[in-house]
Amino acid sequence: MRKLNVLLSLFVLASLVLTACGGGAPAEPQTVVQTVIVEGTPQVVTAVPPTEEKEAVLRVNTGTYPDVIDPQKSSFVNEIAHLNKVYMGLTTLNGKLETVPGAAESWTFNDDATQLTFTLKPDSVYSDGSVLNAKRFEYAFQRNIDPATAGEYASITDEIVGAPEWRGADTAAEGYDAEAFKAALGVKASHADGSACADYEDTACNTLTLNFSKPAPYFATIAGIWVGYPAKEENIAEGGDIWWTSSKYQIGNGPFIWKSVDPFVKSVFVPNPNYAGEAIPTYRLEFSYITDSAVAFEAYRNNEFDVIGSAAEDLPVIDADADLAAQHVKYAGSCTIKIQYSFFPTWGGKPNPFSDKKVREAFALAFDAEAWTHDVDGDLSLPTWTWIPPGYPGYDTNTPLHFDPEAAKAALAAASEPFNSAEKLNALGLKMAFADSARNRQRHEWIAAQYKEILGVDLALDPVEPTTYTAIQKDPDTYPLLSRGGWCADYADPQNWLSVYWRTGTFADRWGYSNPEFDALVDEADTTIDPAKRAELYSQAQQVLLNDIPGAFGYNSLNHYLVKPWVKGYQTTPQDGTYPGDVTPWTITIDTSMLP
Amino acid sequence: MVTYLIRRLFWLIPVLITVSAVTFIVMRSAPGGPWDTDPERRQVDAATEKSLSAYYGLDKPMWRQFYAYIIGDTNSQTKEYVCGLICGNLGPSYRQRGRTVQDILFSPPEDKTFWQSRFGYSLRLGGMALLMAIMVGIPIGIIAALKQNTIVDYVALFFATSGISVPSFVLAIFLIFIFASRLHLVDIVVDDWTQIKYWFMPMAVLGFGTLAYTARLTRSAMLEVMRQDYVRTARAKGLAERAVVFIHMLKNALIPVITILGPALAGLVTGSFIIETMFSFPGMGRAYVQSIFQRDYSMIMGTTLIYALLVAVANLSVDIIYVFLDPRIRLED
Repeated sequence: MRKLNVLLSLFVLASLVLTACGGGAPAEPQTVVQTVIVEGTPQVVTAVPPTEEKEAVLRVNTGTYPDVIDPQKSSFVNEIAHLNKVYMGLTTLNGKLETVPGAAESWTFNDDATQLTFTLKPDSVYSDGSVLNAKRFEYAFQRNIDPATAGEYASITDEIVGAPEWRGADTAAEGYDAEAFKAALGVKASHADGSACADYEDTACNTLTLNFSKPAPYFATIAGIWVGYPAKEENIAEGGDIWWTSSKYQIGNGPFIWKSVDPFVKSVFVPNPNYAGEAIPTYRLEFSYITDSAVAFEAYRNNEFDVIGSAAEDLPVIDADADLAAQHVKYAGSCTIKIQYSFFPTWGGKPNPFSDKKVREAFALAFDAEAWTHDVDGDLSLPTWTWIPPGYPGYDTNTPLHFDPEAAKAALAAASEPFNSAEKLNALGLKMAFADSARNRQRHEWIAAQYKEILGVDLALDPVEPTTYTAIQKDPDTYPLLSRGGWCADYADPQNWLSVYWRTGTFADRWGYSNPEFDALVDEADTTIDPAKRAELYSQAQQVLLNDIPGAFGYNSLNHYLVKPWVKGYQTTPQDGTYPGDVTPWTITIDTSMLP
Repeated sequence: MVTYLIRRLFWLIPVLITVSAVTFIVMRSAPGGPWDTDPERRQVDAATEKSLSAYYGLDKPMWRQFYAYIIGDTNSQTKEYVCGLICGNLGPSYRQRGRTVQDILFSPPEDKTFWQSRFGYSLRLGGMALLMAIMVGIPIGIIAALKQNTIVDYVALFFATSGISVPSFVLAIFLIFIFASRLHLVDIVVDDWTQIKYWFMPMAVLGFGTLAYTARLTRSAMLEVMRQDYVRTARAKGLAERAVVFIHMLKNALIPVITILGPALAGLVTGSFIIETMFSFPGMGRAYVQSIFQRDYSMIMGTTLIYALLVAVANLSVDIIYVFLDPRIRLED
């Protein structure tokens, strides 16, 4: 009996060892050597079996697994990267970030841009072959606005008539009537002749009309973002609050079908044969969720990933290896980061030096953006002296300021009393807050050292727990005197960079920036239909902003990835969220002949 | 003994309530909330924030929120009564919208079993890591003690000290480099956790520290026990060395080891942020750490309570094991 136990144990151990050793490198085709007899004479024949055709797969590490993958509730880049594979909005973006037809074949504004009418492509269907009509998009916009959904981007469609009223309604109040709000909403699906649609099976229901409370010539672009993706109402109802956790309910009209999801491990997408966009992808897409950059880098080198984001700590290895260096793809990203000044007259009960434009100018001129990107960010960011980043409509290289230490000193000396010298500023005790992390400590120590060296100013650093940092930035009463922050594009329109961020009554209220001239220009631009005139007005508004020196514009984010040589045809855009070609995945091809 | 166990189980109730209260106060004292996300992107607007706060009851006074979490309350939006912790409801996640904490931790993905839930994964990995720590750590400790001040002892001590001092992320990347990148025995990117070969590295990294600590503790306990009179007596009686070591020495030396293994089990099965980050392991450790940064209050409360419950149960189990190891120990009735 005892011997039997020992034998069994050995067997189990051996099985485990064998199982552990069973995986590993993919098997290579073997050369078979056979001795055959041909007409009585023995001959040695060498036969190489035909190689199996390899499947085209794009394996991407997206990092963090999404919290929520619901078109009307998601807001983070990694969430949207999943959604835009499965769904397509009425419009979409091309490789130049131009708004082009998506599910809609065309759209028209009325004369004053208060009404936008989309016509859907004929015979539109979902990936499962079911009818996709305008009523689906009507539901998407209604669901986004419905306060019961409470999506984090719900306010992005506030131009629609009745949207702010419904969103702000107290659903617990006596007499709250969701149907009445829905009926008053400026979103209507109809037939081409204006008659009402019957249901989701009505194939003639191809027109969606959006009515706005003010002219919104930029809304065709907004209509293409994820909040307008047509998730199926019946799937949401059947799956309940957690419908989005199951790939079987994520039936969409995007370039891919979400075949399977193993949370935190892998998502598999396959081409959608019914995709009505530019082209149907020719490869299977796999997302993995490794958040440790060192492990992801090792997996990439082991040929287990085709695309990963490169990390600053891997740069020495990448730069030292000619192959890796050739695979390192870098291009402008979607964010502008700046050192933001508080504009309030006082700070901590003391006069605020940054209420003086000359002090703002001194601090902007003393920030060496090029040195920052090289020394601090390891060339994984791009220096900038303007607001809208390259690659976006409205990018303007004409900026009043550049790094100039002598001009910075002169500007400080020209400031008003009592801010016109380093000693006087030091007496006030300047402080810069930041979200605490090892990386951010290094960054802000560099900033403080530079201001000390150039202006002689002592900047006290105030590390704050990251979520607390966000919270204090939301409240004008606690907004730091100096902080590092910025904006990343929701969509490619100057309105998103200027009106949404700097106009009085928006984010700018948090740090107290307000300029009526700027407000007037963006208000006019927001309601101007002529694209050229609109662009000119935004350009003027940006110049007003830059002349106010609202912050020390520092750098633009950089998209930086390692891409295997067999991944071809990707179009890079600043809006790429998780990999090059994220916005236009149908252009990517996998050269299977190059696969190892 | 049964009365003792029942009494100890009842004591869990005030323990859990106290843990809940302390956690609630501490997490709500930290500035920020679940809707405070990355400042470099569009923020939740005031109307939506109000709506969300009302839905989740965050607009109510603190005492009422705590009461709602423990006992239950009527949702002001849906008008439905939602029973709290007393009904096993750990609350809704504020970030993973629509999901409850118990759903996130205990429900498996579609077409999977409980063992493929986040808790199930952590439980299995923690159990394997503990088993490894016991099966390897205790023998190493015994051998080191029996061969004190020999090369065997020094090697065992070196091994144990390494286990305690080497950070798990260093060990993880080292193992990945050796076994995946160089030897190609396993893949780095695991897409199928049903294959046992993928479990060895996370198990080794997770359990190595406990293994090392167990080995050191076993060694020192054995060294103390082997100088006791009853051991000398056993040898003088002419007992075989094996019987002296395993029946007389080890049984007594194991008491301090068992004491640390209880809380260690709780720590191992509740997951590890590092392990899950590096191996893309779908356990519950990441949920805990992320929830703190995201101010996902219910998730913080839920994971803390599960950890507290596991520690309490593990300690109770240790007390029971004592009785079997040392006949002098009696659990009061």
